[in-house]
Amino acid sequence: MNLWGARTLLMKEVRRFLRVPGQTILQPLISTALYFIVFSYTVGAVQREVDGVPYMQFIVPGLVFLGIANNAFLNASSSFFIMKLQGTLVDVLVAPLGPAELLFGFVAGAMVRGLLVGLLTWGVALLFTTAPVAHVFTTLLFLLLSAYVFSVLGLVAAIWAEKFEQINFFPTFLMLPLTFLGGVFYSVASLPEPFRSISALNPVVHMVEGLRAGMLGTSEGSPLGLGLLLGVALTATVVAREMLRRGYRLKS
Amino acid sequence: MTPALELESLTKQYKTQRALDAVSLRIGAGEIFALLGPNGAGKTTLIGAVCGLVKKTSGTVRLFGVDLDVDGVTPRYSVGLVPQEINFDPFFTVRESLRIQQGYFGQRHDDARIDELLAALALTAKADTQTRALSGGMKRRLLIAKALVHRPKLVFLDEPTAGVDVELRRDLWSYVRRLREQGTTVVLTTHYLEEAEELADRVGIIDGGRLLLVEDKAALMRRMGERAWTVRFSAPVRALPDGVAGTLDDDGRALTFIERPGGPSGAEVLRSAYAAQLPVADLALRPAKLEDILVRVLNGQEADR
Repeated sequence: MNLWGARTLLMKEVRRFLRVPGQTILQPLISTALYFIVFSYTVGAVQREVDGVPYMQFIVPGLVFLGIANNAFLNASSSFFIMKLQGTLVDVLVAPLGPAELLFGFVAGAMVRGLLVGLLTWGVALLFTTAPVAHVFTTLLFLLLSAYVFSVLGLVAAIWAEKFEQINFFPTFLMLPLTFLGGVFYSVASLPEPFRSISALNPVVHMVEGLRAGMLGTSEGSPLGLGLLLGVALTATVVAREMLRRGYRLKS
Repeated sequence: MTPALELESLTKQYKTQRALDAVSLRIGAGEIFALLGPNGAGKTTLIGAVCGLVKKTSGTVRLFGVDLDVDGVTPRYSVGLVPQEINFDPFFTVRESLRIQQGYFGQRHDDARIDELLAALALTAKADTQTRALSGGMKRRLLIAKALVHRPKLVFLDEPTAGVDVELRRDLWSYVRRLREQGTTVVLTTHYLEEAEELADRVGIIDGGRLLLVEDKAALMRRMGERAWTVRFSAPVRALPDGVAGTLDDDGRALTFIERPGGPSGAEVLRSAYAAQLPVADLALRPAKLEDILVRVLNGQEADR
């Protein structure tokens, strides 16, 4: 195992996104802060409490999740895909870096960005409301798992994609609808049928519920959310590792 | 001594094209091997199959005696590649790029090594420059530095001097010779045949995925090299006397003779010209060229070695 090589790749990935903080940190932070402000002062003005929690506080976990998921995905997908386009992927393919080291480097780098944006989103929320963490372990578990899952998915998308358009396919057609319909800004429990039952099929709902349970302590937790995250994490890891091992769309 | 590289029946079949056709080759430690051939001959595919960029269809690749099917990672610690296509990571400076490359190969920062390479490749002044601000030739030199920064025992140089100016190209040649003196094995592809002639210990000629010839360069030059002698006369000569080989030009002022292995030597022709009292005024000699040999081998003459 080339531990130093994997560490180098991770550090390179982190330095890469820190070189353009306006694009990689500030821009997503402003987007999520705007979501927070607009939804809090519009929906929050009408619906002051959800599940016994002030609306402003209620949407914090969902926004943190959104920041993590989007940025973890984007970092892994854009960084890897740009390396493919620029030809610098040759550097890591020729080096003694196996699938495990490549997976670690790209995924850990993307997780750092996702978690950093998530943390800063939480920090912005603290300017407006209190956002306590009820269950530290559950919160950390969901934060890390969410960051991991979307980082690996970003890597898979970048390995698979052959055009920029394909890279945007996943965030535009899958992540955006799933997150907006995933109970980030509302409680799924308050939806009428059949929308409530349909929403239960959306994995993001359970991921957001899990994080909300951890941060706000509004429920006992979400075993389904945890199970889904673990299932997606395992499947995505196996797929990504196999793609890297076979050199799928990386080696001719 | 274990060869640096061994290929056995290495084959790469794309959908409709056989890029490598049962290529077998051994490259010894510490030699400079030039792999020559026209565009699309299979040179870059061969290098890619060894360096992990191309999935072989069949055959065996051994690096330092280790079969890559058994262990595809460990031997790579000792291999460096200068790819044909220029690439650079625009987020980093020259020095940072080299440190990252060292790290990929499991090595801690070694700025002394980086400084040594930057000096050898005339990049010292650009150490802290963003890579995107480098000229094409500088980017090419950075690729060479990246391939060497981890002190590999086997280096593949795929068109390393394309776009590099003449003076620097000669400096690079000196550096490649130094590498060999230090025991590094170098596999070189180039379109500058002069480069191969200057550097190579052995030459391989590949075309259509088939290795047509592998031979010691000096022996090849002796075996197939043709020297052209041109003897100029101070007065026109109407016809060549018997015993003087060669071709007289139309105005009778020059005699051209191609010296081929097994035939009369240029010196013998010159002696016969003096003996026949021809008005010899000047002599020009064009040495044997690898380029001519390559063309003849590619045209199907005298291969199969």
